[in-house]
Amino acid sequence: MSQARLRPGSATPWLLLAPALAAVSFIVLLPVAQTVWLSLHRAILTRPRDRPFIGLDNYAALLADPLFWESLRHSLVWVVATVALQFALGFTAALLLNRSFWWRSAARALIVVPWALPSVIIGLTWSWMLDFNLGVANELLLRSGILSESVAWLARPDTAMPAVILALVWQGFPFFAVTLLAGLQAIPAEQYEAATVDGAGSWRCFIHVTLPGLAGVIATTLLLRMIWVANSLDVILVMTGGGPGTATHTLPLYAFLKAWSGLDFGYGSALAVVLTLLLLGVVIAYALRAGERA
Amino acid sequence: MPRDISRRAVIAGALAAAPLAAPRAQRGTMIRWWYHFDNPTATPDALVQRFEQANPGIRIQAERIPWGGGADYDNRLYASVVANNAPDAAMVKLQNLTRLLDMDALAPLDRWVDAWPGRTDIADAMWALHRSPDGKRHYVPVQYVVLYLYCRQDWFTQANLPLPTNFDQFLAAAKALTGGERWGFGMRGGAGGHDHWASFALGGGASFEKGGLVTPQALAANRWFVGLGREHRVFPPSAPADGFRQVIDNMKAGRTAMTIHHVGSATELVGALGDAIIAVPVPRGPGGRGWTAFGDGSNAVFAQGRNQEAAWRWISFLSAGEANVVFNQLSGQLPVTASGQRAWTGHPERFIRASSESVPLMATYPQSPKTTDWTRTVWPQTTQRALLGQTEPDEMMRVFERHFHG
Repeated sequence: MSQARLRPGSATPWLLLAPALAAVSFIVLLPVAQTVWLSLHRAILTRPRDRPFIGLDNYAALLADPLFWESLRHSLVWVVATVALQFALGFTAALLLNRSFWWRSAARALIVVPWALPSVIIGLTWSWMLDFNLGVANELLLRSGILSESVAWLARPDTAMPAVILALVWQGFPFFAVTLLAGLQAIPAEQYEAATVDGAGSWRCFIHVTLPGLAGVIATTLLLRMIWVANSLDVILVMTGGGPGTATHTLPLYAFLKAWSGLDFGYGSALAVVLTLLLLGVVIAYALRAGERA
Repeated sequence: MPRDISRRAVIAGALAAAPLAAPRAQRGTMIRWWYHFDNPTATPDALVQRFEQANPGIRIQAERIPWGGGADYDNRLYASVVANNAPDAAMVKLQNLTRLLDMDALAPLDRWVDAWPGRTDIADAMWALHRSPDGKRHYVPVQYVVLYLYCRQDWFTQANLPLPTNFDQFLAAAKALTGGERWGFGMRGGAGGHDHWASFALGGGASFEKGGLVTPQALAANRWFVGLGREHRVFPPSAPADGFRQVIDNMKAGRTAMTIHHVGSATELVGALGDAIIAVPVPRGPGGRGWTAFGDGSNAVFAQGRNQEAAWRWISFLSAGEANVVFNQLSGQLPVTASGQRAWTGHPERFIRASSESVPLMATYPQSPKTTDWTRTVWPQTTQRALLGQTEPDEMMRVFERHFHG
């Protein structure tokens, strides 16, 4: 049975890929192109017949907008703090779940619960837990003597951002825990045995076997999570709406509010495009890693 | 044989066509109507059934649209108009009016309203509030509420304080009733809190006319309002972030002595506090001036609809006679008809009385395309910063003035 060979320049691969390319173009590229196009217009939803092309005016306005720069600063804090804490907590949980104990199966199942809950539910739950008047957080801290009076966690500019970060850390750490646990289980036991024979203790095993063995998984999960957290706004929207004042105003939230509340889809699209450009470095790094692994 | 085949074909064709023909005959004119009730279990099915029985040629497809603080509902409405897929009729609010008119989305209703017997059962003042800026009528009122001041009557009695009728009495009472884990006024600094601010800033002399938010009187009124939180500390520390739910729950939990809302929360508050909760009109400012928000609710017919007269018949049905009473039992608000108001038993009498006594103070926000963005974004952001001391009260008013008047 002879093997069919493709001639160089054959259209067959492209024909086979065409359905997937068409679907991706329709679902991804078309909305992206439309967003870029909208960002070059003064596009107010309620004035569909008055949508003039204004070139880069939205981008110029954005650079002169103090709220844009403040939102960008908040976004950086939000992404770095959330991803770092999620990673630290997730890694710790993965190491614990990789050990042997009698209820390990139940623990592995339970740890996925925060990840499985809808963000809106998580936002509402944490809002009420942190509520000044009726929240369980103040009650516990007061009873344990850690606080002498209730704190309005979501109404103070110095505590609102840590509060929303805490909620998202709780939601997102299982992602790290589960993926890093899978990575830990893929490290051959022989490597630990060899290191032990060579006199390595637990710490040196961790540094010289576990971390190198997990490096690929850690890099991929960090990149993915940075993209997701940078784009996420649901928990902030539910818990603070960006407030108090603008204390938790991040870039995706600003784009959302500008389009959804202000109905200014031109300016909102410009904000979204800028956010995408800022994330492009992370996206390219992830795509390169994914390409290497493929 | 050919005759048999032909006969069989005719019978088979008739049988096949029957299910198609019958529903078409029953279907008549379909009217898509968008609505929202706060109570998720309330359904207008009984009203729809009654209307369809009285109007055999018209069917109503009632579509409950998520409210999302108003933003979700409004934006879906705007998007449906842009997509040329607007409902035939929908519940609307005055703050949508100018935007919908900008979009040529609404059908004028004057010729139908003028010939409608139910028109005279709705007060002229109510019709005047609902007129479009061009003088035409695009909205038919279906429900309303007036904001008033809820008070813990028992605490006022214990402290021997009069229920407040002016700003001075309000401040004195709020200060006297603040202490420990209790605060004088449950201020709503989150979404929807502009109604609280308005009763004090606009009641104290500010207005939305050009320059009206930055007059010396307006600035003084706003300084007084912000001072309630920053200087006198009669708001809970959570006030900058508190929304409707927190404000009402604080009142129910005995954390606040007063707050501003309408009859929509009366049943819930009475359930928690019984006779201890009472309502009075919001206090008046210097010179006896007062301002309270008129919470409107109307229906409109959309210009894209091909069955506008049928849509009018449906919305006028909802604003007349017993149907309007039933509608408001579902919505938890008040009937717009004089006959319905006389027969209304949906809320305890003291809250109906407070609503009636508040009517002279009742006003609306400017019918401007900028009002919605102000209520949803500009007001909460700026006011929260002022309450937290991140900006000065005068700058807060200048931000509002720039938002409306450039």
